[in-house]
Amino acid sequence: MPPKPHRVLLDRVSGYADEAAAYMRRRKIARRPFARLYYANGRATDHDIDSKDGIALFDAADRLVEVAGKPRRRRP
Amino acid sequence: MKLGRGSSLGIFAEMPDAATATSTDGSAEAALAFLTEMSPDLRGAAILDDDGAVLAASGEDEGWGEAARALLAAADAADPEPAEQIHVGNESGEVFALRHEGLAAVAVTERFALASLILFDMRQALRDLAIARGGES
Repeated sequence: MPPKPHRVLLDRVSGYADEAAAYMRRRKIARRPFARLYYANGRATDHDIDSKDGIALFDAADRLVEVAGKPRRRRP
Repeated sequence: MKLGRGSSLGIFAEMPDAATATSTDGSAEAALAFLTEMSPDLRGAAILDDDGAVLAASGEDEGWGEAARALLAAADAADPEPAEQIHVGNESGEVFALRHEGLAAVAVTERFALASLILFDMRQALRDLAIARGGES
Protein backbone atom coordinates (compact mmCIF):
# COMPACT_ATOMS: atom_id res chain seq x y z
CA MET A 1 0.00 0.00 0.00
CA PRO A 2 1.49 3.44 -0.89
CA PRO A 3 2.16 5.84 2.01
CA LYS A 4 -0.24 8.67 2.66
CA PRO A 5 0.75 11.91 0.82
CA HIS A 6 1.31 13.92 4.02
CA ARG A 7 3.68 11.18 5.25
CA VAL A 8 5.86 11.63 2.13
CA LEU A 9 6.02 15.36 2.73
CA LEU A 10 6.86 14.95 6.42
CA ASP A 11 9.60 12.42 5.62
CA ARG A 12 11.11 14.76 3.08
CA VAL A 13 11.10 17.75 5.46
CA SER A 14 12.60 15.66 8.22
CA GLY A 15 15.29 14.40 5.79
CA TYR A 16 16.28 17.98 4.89
CA ALA A 17 16.36 18.93 8.57
CA ASP A 18 18.72 16.01 9.29
CA GLU A 19 20.99 17.07 6.40
CA ALA A 20 21.08 20.65 7.66
CA ALA A 21 21.88 19.55 11.21
CA ALA A 22 24.73 17.33 9.96
CA TYR A 23 26.08 20.19 7.82
CA MET A 24 26.03 22.56 10.80
CA ARG A 25 27.80 19.98 12.98
CA ARG A 26 30.54 19.49 10.38
CA ARG A 27 30.87 23.24 9.86
CA LYS A 28 31.25 23.83 13.58
CA ILE A 29 34.01 21.23 13.82
CA ALA A 30 35.80 22.53 10.72
CA ARG A 31 35.71 26.14 11.93
CA ARG A 32 37.16 25.35 15.34
CA PRO A 33 40.48 27.15 15.82
CA PHE A 34 43.56 24.95 16.07
CA ALA A 35 47.30 25.22 16.60
CA ARG A 36 49.51 22.31 15.65
CA LEU A 37 53.25 21.93 15.82
CA TYR A 38 55.11 19.30 13.83
CA TYR A 39 58.62 18.12 14.68
CA ALA A 40 61.43 16.61 12.61
CA ASN A 41 60.92 13.12 14.04
CA GLY A 42 57.29 13.08 12.86
CA ARG A 43 55.82 13.96 16.23
CA ALA A 44 52.94 16.47 16.28
CA THR A 45 51.36 18.36 19.14
CA ASP A 46 48.00 20.09 19.32
CA HIS A 47 47.66 23.19 21.49
CA ASP A 48 44.33 24.24 22.87
CA ILE A 49 43.30 27.88 22.49
CA ASP A 50 43.00 28.18 26.28
CA SER A 51 46.41 26.72 27.09
CA LYS A 52 49.42 28.94 27.82
CA ASP A 53 51.28 27.88 24.67
CA GLY A 54 48.08 28.03 22.64
CA ILE A 55 47.43 31.63 23.66
CA ALA A 56 50.94 32.66 22.56
CA LEU A 57 50.59 30.82 19.25
CA PHE A 58 47.15 32.27 18.49
CA ASP A 59 48.28 35.79 19.43
CA ALA A 60 51.25 35.54 17.08
CA ALA A 61 49.07 34.07 14.32
CA ASP A 62 46.52 36.88 14.75
CA ARG A 63 49.30 39.43 14.33
CA LEU A 64 50.48 37.71 11.14
CA VAL A 65 46.95 37.65 9.71
CA GLU A 66 46.72 41.35 10.49
CA VAL A 67 50.03 42.06 8.73
CA ALA A 68 48.98 40.00 5.69
CA GLY A 69 45.92 42.22 5.34
CA LYS A 70 42.66 41.61 3.62
CA PRO A 71 42.04 38.52 1.47
CA ARG A 72 43.05 38.74 -2.16
CA ARG A 73 40.22 38.85 -4.66
CA ARG A 74 39.43 35.49 -6.16
CA ARG A 75 40.07 35.00 -9.85
CA PRO A 76 36.83 34.93 -11.84
CA MET B 1 49.31 8.98 -29.70
CA LYS B 2 49.15 12.38 -31.27
CA LEU B 3 49.87 15.32 -29.01
CA GLY B 4 48.41 18.55 -30.16
CA ARG B 5 45.76 21.15 -29.76
CA GLY B 6 43.04 18.65 -30.61
CA SER B 7 43.92 16.08 -27.96
CA SER B 8 43.55 16.27 -24.22
CA LEU B 9 47.27 15.54 -23.82
CA GLY B 10 47.93 18.61 -25.94
CA ILE B 11 47.40 20.65 -22.80
CA PHE B 12 50.65 19.25 -21.40
CA ALA B 13 52.45 19.30 -24.74
CA GLU B 14 51.81 23.03 -25.03
CA MET B 15 52.63 23.86 -21.44
CA PRO B 16 55.63 26.22 -21.35
CA ASP B 17 58.68 25.14 -19.36
CA ALA B 18 58.31 28.19 -17.13
CA ALA B 19 55.09 26.80 -15.69
CA THR B 20 56.97 23.92 -14.10
CA ALA B 21 60.04 25.91 -13.20
CA THR B 22 61.15 26.38 -9.60
CA SER B 23 62.52 29.37 -7.77
CA THR B 24 66.10 28.76 -8.86
CA ASP B 25 66.87 32.44 -9.32
CA GLY B 26 68.56 32.22 -5.95
CA SER B 27 67.17 35.30 -4.26
CA ALA B 28 64.68 35.36 -1.42
CA GLU B 29 62.49 37.66 -3.52
CA ALA B 30 62.36 35.03 -6.26
CA ALA B 31 61.45 32.35 -3.72
CA LEU B 32 58.68 34.57 -2.39
CA ALA B 33 57.43 35.32 -5.90
CA PHE B 34 57.40 31.57 -6.62
CA LEU B 35 55.40 30.94 -3.48
CA THR B 36 52.91 33.70 -4.25
CA GLU B 37 52.44 32.49 -7.81
CA MET B 38 51.99 28.85 -6.85
CA SER B 39 49.42 29.37 -4.10
CA PRO B 40 46.22 31.22 -5.03
CA ASP B 41 45.03 31.05 -1.43
CA LEU B 42 48.08 32.89 -0.17
CA ARG B 43 47.45 36.32 1.35
CA GLY B 44 51.04 37.10 2.20
CA ALA B 45 54.34 35.51 3.14
CA ALA B 46 57.81 36.23 4.39
CA ILE B 47 61.16 34.48 4.37
CA LEU B 48 63.50 34.85 7.30
CA ASP B 49 67.07 33.80 7.89
CA ASP B 50 68.62 32.02 10.88
CA ASP B 51 68.76 35.22 12.95
CA GLY B 52 65.14 36.09 12.27
CA ALA B 53 65.98 38.87 9.82
CA VAL B 54 63.49 39.28 6.98
CA LEU B 55 65.02 38.35 3.61
CA ALA B 56 61.81 39.00 1.67
CA ALA B 57 58.24 39.83 2.57
CA SER B 58 54.96 40.51 0.79
CA GLY B 59 54.53 43.94 2.30
CA GLU B 60 56.11 45.85 5.10
CA ASP B 61 59.23 43.95 6.24
CA GLU B 62 59.15 45.09 9.85
CA GLY B 63 55.57 44.00 10.51
CA TRP B 64 56.26 40.56 9.08
CA GLY B 65 59.57 40.17 10.91
CA GLU B 66 58.18 40.98 14.33
CA ALA B 67 55.08 38.81 13.96
CA ALA B 68 56.97 35.88 12.43
CA ARG B 69 59.63 35.95 15.13
CA ALA B 70 56.87 35.98 17.77
CA LEU B 71 55.26 32.91 16.19
CA LEU B 72 58.54 30.98 16.00
CA ALA B 73 59.37 31.98 19.59
CA ALA B 74 55.93 30.84 20.79
CA ALA B 75 56.44 27.49 19.05
CA ASP B 76 59.90 27.10 20.56
CA ALA B 77 58.55 27.87 24.02
CA ALA B 78 55.98 25.08 23.71
CA ASP B 79 58.53 22.26 23.52
CA PRO B 80 62.27 21.74 24.11
CA GLU B 81 62.60 20.49 20.53
CA PRO B 82 62.33 23.17 17.83
CA ALA B 83 59.19 22.81 15.71
CA GLU B 84 59.76 22.14 12.03
CA GLN B 85 56.25 23.09 10.92
CA ILE B 86 53.65 25.32 12.52
CA HIS B 87 50.01 25.40 11.46
CA VAL B 88 47.54 27.67 13.18
CA GLY B 89 44.00 28.26 11.98
CA ASN B 90 41.37 30.64 13.27
CA GLU B 91 38.26 32.38 11.94
CA SER B 92 40.17 34.93 9.89
CA GLY B 93 42.73 32.71 8.18
CA GLU B 94 45.45 30.13 8.51
CA VAL B 95 49.11 30.62 9.31
CA PHE B 96 51.87 28.28 8.20
CA ALA B 97 55.51 28.38 9.18
CA LEU B 98 58.24 26.07 8.01
CA ARG B 99 61.92 25.80 8.89
CA HIS B 100 64.48 24.38 6.53
CA GLU B 101 68.28 24.54 6.75
CA GLY B 102 68.46 27.72 8.76
CA LEU B 103 65.74 29.47 6.79
CA ALA B 104 62.13 29.99 7.77
CA ALA B 105 59.09 30.74 5.66
CA VAL B 106 55.88 32.12 7.12
CA ALA B 107 52.67 32.30 5.11
CA VAL B 108 49.14 33.50 5.74
CA THR B 109 46.34 31.96 3.68
CA GLU B 110 42.60 31.94 3.44
CA ARG B 111 40.76 29.60 5.78
CA PHE B 112 40.56 26.01 4.51
CA ALA B 113 43.56 26.29 2.19
CA LEU B 114 45.08 22.93 1.27
CA ALA B 115 47.77 22.59 3.93
CA SER B 116 49.77 19.88 2.19
CA LEU B 117 50.09 21.94 -1.00
CA ILE B 118 50.99 25.15 0.81
CA LEU B 119 53.66 23.35 2.85
CA PHE B 120 54.97 21.56 -0.23
CA ASP B 121 55.40 24.89 -2.05
CA MET B 122 57.00 26.50 0.99
CA ARG B 123 59.43 23.60 1.34
CA GLN B 124 60.28 23.79 -2.36
CA ALA B 125 60.91 27.53 -2.17
CA LEU B 126 63.13 27.19 0.91
CA ARG B 127 65.01 24.21 -0.53
CA ASP B 128 65.87 26.14 -3.70
CA LEU B 129 66.85 29.18 -1.71
CA ALA B 130 69.04 27.13 0.65
CA ILE B 131 70.81 25.50 -2.31
CA ALA B 132 71.39 28.88 -3.94
CA ARG B 133 72.69 30.40 -0.71
CA GLY B 134 74.91 27.40 -0.12
CA GLY B 135 76.34 27.85 -3.59
CA GLU B 136 77.09 31.52 -2.97
CA SER B 137 79.08 30.96 0.22
